[in-house]
Amino acid sequence: MKPYRLLFALCVCLLNGALLCAQDSATPQGRVFVNFVSASHVAVSPGHSVPIQFTFHVQDPYHINSSQPLTEELIPTQLHFSLPGEVALGKMQYPAGKLMSFPFDPSTKLSVYSGDFIVRGVVVAPSVASAGTYTIHGELKYQACDNNACYPPKKLPFTFNVKVGSAGRATQKARPTATSPHIHN
Amino acid sequence: MNRNVIFILCVVVAITGLLLIGKRGAKPPESANAAGAGNSQAASAPAQGAGDPTKGSVAPTFELKSIPDGKAIPLASLRGKAVLLNFWATWCGPCKIEMPWLVDLQKKYGPQGLQIVGVAMDDTEDKEIADFAHKMGVNYIVLKGTEKVGDLYGGVDRLPLTYYIDRSGKVVDETVGLASESVIEDAIKKALQQGN
Repeated sequence: MKPYRLLFALCVCLLNGALLCAQDSATPQGRVFVNFVSASHVAVSPGHSVPIQFTFHVQDPYHINSSQPLTEELIPTQLHFSLPGEVALGKMQYPAGKLMSFPFDPSTKLSVYSGDFIVRGVVVAPSVASAGTYTIHGELKYQACDNNACYPPKKLPFTFNVKVGSAGRATQKARPTATSPHIHN
Repeated sequence: MNRNVIFILCVVVAITGLLLIGKRGAKPPESANAAGAGNSQAASAPAQGAGDPTKGSVAPTFELKSIPDGKAIPLASLRGKAVLLNFWATWCGPCKIEMPWLVDLQKKYGPQGLQIVGVAMDDTEDKEIADFAHKMGVNYIVLKGTEKVGDLYGGVDRLPLTYYIDRSGKVVDETVGLASESVIEDAIKKALQQGN
């Protein structure tokens, strides 16, 4: 073997070993349970409203409680928003949870989200809203489990844009975007 | 070897060294493990997830408020007994499965010196925890957990999490997630036998 190749192999081994060690020390707190996939960005005229939908993805093998878990102790999935005065959001419509039982308690059904789920709502621009693009900050609160354990409640922040047009212009849909740093409580 | 190769080698070695030093730096010395229930005399908490007592090490000491009476209970006050320290929460399904087993095991091994301690990691009112424990027929000590104490035990990033502590205060076993009743019972026997 040429010395360069030997050196290259040595470097790769060293880096791999170090990265593995570093991963060992990583805690599940850095683990991602849910991703924000997209929000349908909308353009809305003052005095009008348009539908909006938010898509999230629950990573395999986890599940999270639906917005209406079947027992009061369980923590429901909820969306919260910080809204600028120029835009309001109508009541969110959460999907129904899948009724599933898990190996830790096969006799009990839980109402959960797994895989993709979509929350729908309506964006409203008051008639006095000023034209412009507004970035809205949202936060998904959820609590995840897998087949063997549960994880502390988490918050998933995300942002999306709403364009408020000039009064009298028709509304139109814009392309979706997604940004979502994952943090904890 | 030309200069480029030496440079690359130096960079790789430096990165490796930094990663390894960073890993070591994340673990505090075990002797620093102590926390209070409230605000007084609590040692500063280590970095999140850094505690995680290993088998054979002394279980980190703490003092927490019991539910429902609010009495401060130091872990050290249970020295001489085998302690099953169970981190749980009312929203944790697998924890709920273990609870009736723990009730039975407290009855069975209590006379031999076992004390089960449930540390509730809920961010809710004490009354909700007390009502839940009552509903589950809990016959062992329930304490209201804090993030600081959770940090001493590795951050308690998943539940249930159970430590088995012998009569001398040393950790003899640990189960993460839902463990079978027989596994829990075996670990209890180990804790009762050791540290006499």
